[in-house]
Amino acid sequence: MGICGSCGANVDGEPKLTCASFLHEFKGKEIKIEPLANFPVIKDLIVNIEDFMEKLDHIKPWIIRKEETPLEKGEYRQTPEELEAYKQFSMCINCMLCYAACPIYGMNEEFLGPAATALAYRYIADTRDQDHEARFPMVHDKEGVWECTLVGECSVACPKGVDPMLAIQKTKILGATQILKPPRRGK
Amino acid sequence: MTRENAPSKYPEYRKQLGPGWWLSNQRYTLYMIRELTSFFISIYAIIYIYQLSLLASGDFSSYDLFVRNPATIGFSIIALFFTLYHAVTWFSLMGRIQVVKLGPKKTATPLQAIAINLLLLLIIAYAIVYLFILR
Repeated sequence: MGICGSCGANVDGEPKLTCASFLHEFKGKEIKIEPLANFPVIKDLIVNIEDFMEKLDHIKPWIIRKEETPLEKGEYRQTPEELEAYKQFSMCINCMLCYAACPIYGMNEEFLGPAATALAYRYIADTRDQDHEARFPMVHDKEGVWECTLVGECSVACPKGVDPMLAIQKTKILGATQILKPPRRGK
Repeated sequence: MTRENAPSKYPEYRKQLGPGWWLSNQRYTLYMIRELTSFFISIYAIIYIYQLSLLASGDFSSYDLFVRNPATIGFSIIALFFTLYHAVTWFSLMGRIQVVKLGPKKTATPLQAIAINLLLLLIIAYAIVYLFILR
């Protein structure tokens, strides 16, 4: 359960993966199942996720290398500590429960939102990536991380133990400290 | 992020967040209370500036009357309560964001992080009081 991330819905007002919501948890109660909050509803429990898919693509969710190393030179190696810096953020299954839990996204759909930022940070924090700043224009856009006001509900809703709120705040810190750094050579 | 405003392929229903959204769940309500604290803190800041202006003008009797006013005392207590609420919730969030390392592999739990942060706040506050008043 909780692998594909495609069965998200609001169960009794809380965004949940329905495959991992058992009837015995609601014994004796009336249950209200609604489509994922904050997304446009197409029909019944089906919501339009195009906005989310665009955002995922927008933040360049891949490892950017300045120069690709040939295959025969082997893999890009990392220490366990380097892996730990981004591992939890790579566990996202794109279920969008965090978007359904986020009132900021509910009020402003232009907000980049929790999962897309967590994914951006996953690559920013990855030592194999060689151009972290390539994502800065997206995450530090006026609809980027600075819209977040620390509600924290995204991290509560995540069924995979990812902490998108943490990724957003870490990205804010990176952006704030960036202005203190001298400009890169050749710019 | 600026999106292309392409019309949707499907007819859609978009439910808007109502003005009472923050009452729908306890965590939203606690968040809104944290946001509301800024109102009390800003009013307190105005009162504080007014008190300083009375002191600066040498009008000590007016200053004395003002700070002894039950309304000033009552509001200060309310502002203190909201400030403490803001500080505790803020430090508990900071404990998660700027993780405090207690060893090569050990990091502080959120409760330990609050304790460390509050202790640091007390030390810094004492240092400021010492520098400007006690010295």
